[in-house]
Amino acid sequence: MQDELRIENLGLHLPTGQCLVQGLSFSIKAGQVLALMGPSGSGKSSILSWLTGTADARLHARGDIWLGSQQINNLPTEKRRLGLMLQQDYLFPHMSVGDNLHFGLRGGTRQSRNQRVSQSLIDAGLAGMEHRDPATLSGGQRARVSLIRTLLSDPCALLLDEPFSGLDTALREQIRRFTWTAAQNLPVLLVTHDLADVPAEAEIVTIGEPCSELDLTEPQVQ
Amino acid sequence: MVWLLAGLFLFPIILGLAGTVLPSIGWLPTIATGQGFSVILSDPRWLPAVALSLQTGIIATVLVLALTLLSLICVHDTRLWQWVSASLPPMLAVPHAAIAVGLLFLISPSGALVRLVSPELTGWARPPTQWVVPDANGWSLIIGLVIKETPFLLLAAVSQLQALNVDASLRIGRTLGYSPARCWSRLILPRLYPRIRLTLLIILAFNLTVVDMALLLGPGNPPTLSVLLMALVNDPDSRAAASAGALLLAGLVALCFALMYLLERWIAGVAARRRRSGARGQGFGVFRTLGQGVVLGLLLSCAASLVLLLMWSFTRRWRFPDAWPSEWTLQNWTSRADVLIDPAVTTLSIALTVALVSLVSAIMWLELERRALAPRIDGMWFLPLLIPQVSLLFGWQAVALWFGWDGHWWTVVYTHWLYTLPYVILILAVAWRELDPGWGHAAQVLGAGYWRVLWKIRLPLLLRPLCQAAAVAVAVSVAQYLPTLLLGAGRHQTLATELVTSFGGVDRRVIAALAVLQSLLPLLAFVMALLYPRWRMSRVQQHVKSINPQPVLP
Repeated sequence: MQDELRIENLGLHLPTGQCLVQGLSFSIKAGQVLALMGPSGSGKSSILSWLTGTADARLHARGDIWLGSQQINNLPTEKRRLGLMLQQDYLFPHMSVGDNLHFGLRGGTRQSRNQRVSQSLIDAGLAGMEHRDPATLSGGQRARVSLIRTLLSDPCALLLDEPFSGLDTALREQIRRFTWTAAQNLPVLLVTHDLADVPAEAEIVTIGEPCSELDLTEPQVQ
Repeated sequence: MVWLLAGLFLFPIILGLAGTVLPSIGWLPTIATGQGFSVILSDPRWLPAVALSLQTGIIATVLVLALTLLSLICVHDTRLWQWVSASLPPMLAVPHAAIAVGLLFLISPSGALVRLVSPELTGWARPPTQWVVPDANGWSLIIGLVIKETPFLLLAAVSQLQALNVDASLRIGRTLGYSPARCWSRLILPRLYPRIRLTLLIILAFNLTVVDMALLLGPGNPPTLSVLLMALVNDPDSRAAASAGALLLAGLVALCFALMYLLERWIAGVAARRRRSGARGQGFGVFRTLGQGVVLGLLLSCAASLVLLLMWSFTRRWRFPDAWPSEWTLQNWTSRADVLIDPAVTTLSIALTVALVSLVSAIMWLELERRALAPRIDGMWFLPLLIPQVSLLFGWQAVALWFGWDGHWWTVVYTHWLYTLPYVILILAVAWRELDPGWGHAAQVLGAGYWRVLWKIRLPLLLRPLCQAAAVAVAVSVAQYLPTLLLGAGRHQTLATELVTSFGGVDRRVIAALAVLQSLLPLLAFVMALLYPRWRMSRVQQHVKSINPQPVLP
């Protein structure tokens, strides 16, 4: 069972001082999905970038991120153990499917690593595709490889930034089911603008309410 | 780290300039004595040398710009364009000295052009005496500079065309009734020129101050100013005069930059007024054919020069006016291996080291810049290319002598690095800055630390520009004549120094072999830079084929 992901008192302002989010707090238990919804430009993706520690350094952000009892704000991206899936799958083009999956794995013997990769491909219905060039995969296959690569990195929570929006309608439902099944033991934060992407049992948080601008003349505490 | 890299780069530039300024005013008595300025200005060769440098440098630069624009306007949307764009990298790869020697074999009185039409059309059974190459007015040098520098400017222009969305501009302009030439002059060139201005300045500085090509293709009496200064710097009594002359040459280059700026302003004003005239221009059929002919001539001259080098290197007997050698041999390569192998090994060892060091330092800088740990100061990297080599290297050599660094292999490598790094940074910076940061983020959230992301993701994704940059570094290093000559203190003979210093005193067949070898090294580097990334990618694709074999077509 994984830990709870908790965000406390998040405030996000653009470099110009324009407010995106203020005083946002929520927590997601393992196995729970929280959908973050809001209009374009409301800061949904910026929240995910801030969570993973990959946000633009010019963004003014404050707030705390907790994974169970550990505060992870000050950890580098690679130590936060937050799995991320984006609309673009970012399968590394110079690596085979298997190499991409191996890249996600942490530790283990060679044999156990190979076994985990093969088993995860079988589970995803992609058996025998280990040596394939990612460029030769269909959109649905790429999405599945991207998800299992993320899961093989043993994340403590999963962040999804519109991961289904690049897929056609028929494929979308299939990948949604695959994702919710694969991520059933993790806290999942889903960013989307499409209500159909949100599972029935998910909690929904809407952002985009007007909030006060940041006074850029005041010294900022990050 | 930022300061270390910037300091290492600026160190020879600042000390080099100081080392040129101080002896010129007699402040470095152990290096030079006397007042340099009065000596150089009273030298009777001074004014003719200045005039010749200005004449050859300015005419060659104007022709380079004209030919580049002609190639773009007349050839861009034709089938010839494929040939032109494909031939640019190999033309760039061939070192200046090798092109100069090949050109001599082509246009001299006993050269291939005369042989092709003699004696049938000319009646000449002996090489004619009506003209000599190198000629007194520097036209041979101008032709050589144009052949070598046009591909450089053209490549810089081609790399900008996509960003300018040329096809759309041409389409819109033509539907408004403007001729293609007018579309180029009014819609594209005003936006293209600012993007190639820096390259043009580098070419102008080079054309005004070149040494190796001027030694081979320029007149001897009077020589160009840079060649005259080379003669002075080798004489300890004239060192102060050489330094003073080098400073005056730098001033001359700065003056030409200023004139170019004023000319630009004037042309821009005239062009702005003409834009409002609404004149659509005429069809440009004849102009286009003429332009294509000139561009084709340029390509053929370069190709012919290289073919002649190759032919002469395998020639035993080639009497005038025979169009072809009567006897072929391998002896120019085998019996003179001593002349060829040592310089080739030295050249290769310096070039590979310089390429590696340049790549590592460029990657370090661009990574620091990407992580906002270093400022973006592109202008700094171009300093060595804008300052005349003689002005910088005379002083750097003086400093090296002072510290006892001259003649060391690493001093030569360091000085080559100064001239290769700008090109390496120029090539890598575009790719580095455009690479989607999402790739790195995707790897980081999978648990990869900085070095793993760099090694496993960023560098492999940038493999193609990295290989191109390495090839260019090898080509630039192989072509360096003056840095090797001055800082190597005669202890490191490379193909460039051997070729220039042996010319005239050694059998032209051995000279040809040296030039071929000097051209082969960068060409090989370019071929490897082209093939290696493909081979890497094909390894993944081969797995695909082995698992999903393609159906065999009947």
